Amino acid sequence: MQQQQQIQEEMFKRRLPVVIFGLLIVSIFLLGRMVSFQFQYQWAPEVINYLEGLRNSGYSQTLRLAAARGTIYDRGLQALAVNTLEYRVGISPNLVSDPRQVATQLAALLNLDELDTFEKLSTNEPYVLLAARVSAEIGHQVAELKKDIPGINIEPIARRSYPQGTLAAQVVGFVGGDLEGYYGVEGFYQEQLAGRERDEQVSNIPFDLPVDREEDHGGNIVLTIDRDMQFLAESELQTAIAESGSRSGTILIMNPRNGDILAMASYPSFDPNTYFEVDDASLLINPAISQQYEPGSVMKVLTIASALEKGTITPQDTYVDQGSIEIGGRTIENWDRQAHGVVDMTQILVQSLNVGAATVSLRMGPSDFYSMFRAFGIGRPTGIDLQGEAAGTMYVPGDENWSESNLGANSYGQGVAVTPLQMLTAVSAIANDGLMMQPHVVRQIIDGDIVQTSQPSALGRPISAETAEIVTNMMVAVVRDGLDGNASVPGYTIAGKTGTAEIPSPVGYEPGVSIVSFIGFLPADDPQVSILIKLDRPSGYWGSQVAAPVFRRLAERLVILLKIPPDDVRAALAEQGGVVSEIDR
Amino acid sequence: MALTNWFEHTFKRRPWRTQRQAIALVTLSFFVAIIIGALYLAQAANVSTTGRQLEDLILQRNQLEQSNEQIRGEIARLQSVPRLRDRARELGFVDATVGSIEYLPVLGYNPDRDERPAIVIQQPEADVPVYDETFLGWLQQQWDAFTSQQPTSSEGQP
Repeated sequence: MQQQQQIQEEMFKRRLPVVIFGLLIVSIFLLGRMVSFQFQYQWAPEVINYLEGLRNSGYSQTLRLAAARGTIYDRGLQALAVNTLEYRVGISPNLVSDPRQVATQLAALLNLDELDTFEKLSTNEPYVLLAARVSAEIGHQVAELKKDIPGINIEPIARRSYPQGTLAAQVVGFVGGDLEGYYGVEGFYQEQLAGRERDEQVSNIPFDLPVDREEDHGGNIVLTIDRDMQFLAESELQTAIAESGSRSGTILIMNPRNGDILAMASYPSFDPNTYFEVDDASLLINPAISQQYEPGSVMKVLTIASALEKGTITPQDTYVDQGSIEIGGRTIENWDRQAHGVVDMTQILVQSLNVGAATVSLRMGPSDFYSMFRAFGIGRPTGIDLQGEAAGTMYVPGDENWSESNLGANSYGQGVAVTPLQMLTAVSAIANDGLMMQPHVVRQIIDGDIVQTSQPSALGRPISAETAEIVTNMMVAVVRDGLDGNASVPGYTIAGKTGTAEIPSPVGYEPGVSIVSFIGFLPADDPQVSILIKLDRPSGYWGSQVAAPVFRRLAERLVILLKIPPDDVRAALAEQGGVVSEIDR
Repeated sequence: MALTNWFEHTFKRRPWRTQRQAIALVTLSFFVAIIIGALYLAQAANVSTTGRQLEDLILQRNQLEQSNEQIRGEIARLQSVPRLRDRARELGFVDATVGSIEYLPVLGYNPDRDERPAIVIQQPEADVPVYDETFLGWLQQQWDAFTSQQPTSSEGQP
């Protein structure tokens, strides 16, 4: 017995180290796993995130902080788009003790039917919506009421507000219900304006001090648009449309020296505060940059400038106007279907002779003609910082749709389509000594302490300063001698050109209807603004009779707004070495 | 030495005294724990209260910012061109015309003249006393001031 016990003890002693060794190995393995688990050496990032989430779920919560959209200002820092709050008001009827009294109070405040409200409050529902959107003022009154009436639920809703109403609506664009910017500056600068939503971990432990949960603010944007000039342009445009019986129209005002768009007005337009009530979605699009049209005779300015630049003509050159010319099998006639005899280059513009322009383009040849038109930016977008710009259409030799007759027609603005902005940008190059500036509507982006200011940039120099001066003088002659004073402002020298374009249709040009336009700049010797007027389908047919007087009225008010003195006063100032310039360049 | 012996005698030879000592230590530990707990609770309550106050202040700030934004919008609406124009007309203002404006050239005045920086004449800098006071120096100063206030034996006596 004792021997057996000794054997067992010996066996135990022999097995014990094995067991201990085994347990040691297992322990080391477990310890190793614990260490590796703790430090998560080999875990994939998503597993780590999951485990961290699991760990934190009891002690903290994730809050999504909304971003506050930046404000849009005009160049004088008047707000064009701001953020406001509206409120959604609901109630929990099962928590209301006196439905009759509460219904009376809420119905009066929210402008609801009292009986309907009472019926809603008499149910045992956990939640009933009373008003989907109420103003901040009413929201605050409901919030006061909430202190006495349990069960009222009031929820803030961020909303974009446009305090100037319809003013510059198609430039500014709008913010949709999804808080995304659409069209205009709101759409183009969505990323800069919107700010960033961010997730913030907030501790649930009461002993932890709260973190400052400040919203991320998007950048504020200062436009080049001048609110007063925009208002002036819009009111003149509406008057012009009403008086001329036009269907629609556009007025653009630009600083030719730096490309600042000072006003961009189109009619009809919309109110961005109620964009959702707009039936015709085309109203949301800015016609000044997206609507292509055949410009008509204003294009003759570019034809003459191109030919002068290429040395094809000189201002003194003449040709014999026989009233018509045939190019590529197409007969081109003057607007009055008359022959004008011996005519010089200035008179081509003054009398707006199609035959003259076609003769010049023919002398240039397609290669020089189209390379110059390209240099003026015809057929390509200007690159303005707005959503939805169209490129225009210009067929060139080699294109399927181009024929030799295009060369003649294009010279006086037929068979070529431009946007109003393209046309004004090209003509502004003449006002700016031949340098064509990049048009833009944003002047500054202010993001906290960082202020980015847009610097004027040139799209190119299609013509020399000398050519620009010659063409300017020709355009001055147009206003002085060719329009019966329709575009003249007493005391001021103005350069300009009218345009009357037929409207193309699938079966040729529509008879009896036109698009009339006028492009000009002032003062001609030191241009501060270049202006485009365009009216669609007026009851009068000619640009000189319909568009030129609109330009005159606008220019008369602009010289006051911009404090541009008459030529004689400026000349007196210039003698002293002084310059008048209201617009900072 | 005698005191040591007395301690050994008292605490080693008397088991009932050891029990009392244990009870005393436990009680003491208990009270110390209570005091520490109370201090911790007071501190935690203080932090929590401050946290709540901060939460309220953050909320209040956010509401004020929203309110400011609302007011800015309202101001912009009140300053809109059509409203200002109507108000000006109500007050009897009329649109200016080209003919109604008189420009008065001011001789010698050029609004766009080259900016010439003003010439700054360097003024000799006044000597600024150097601050080199030490603690011992200050102490010495105080002492000197104190001793100078001490009346001499002849002062204050007829």
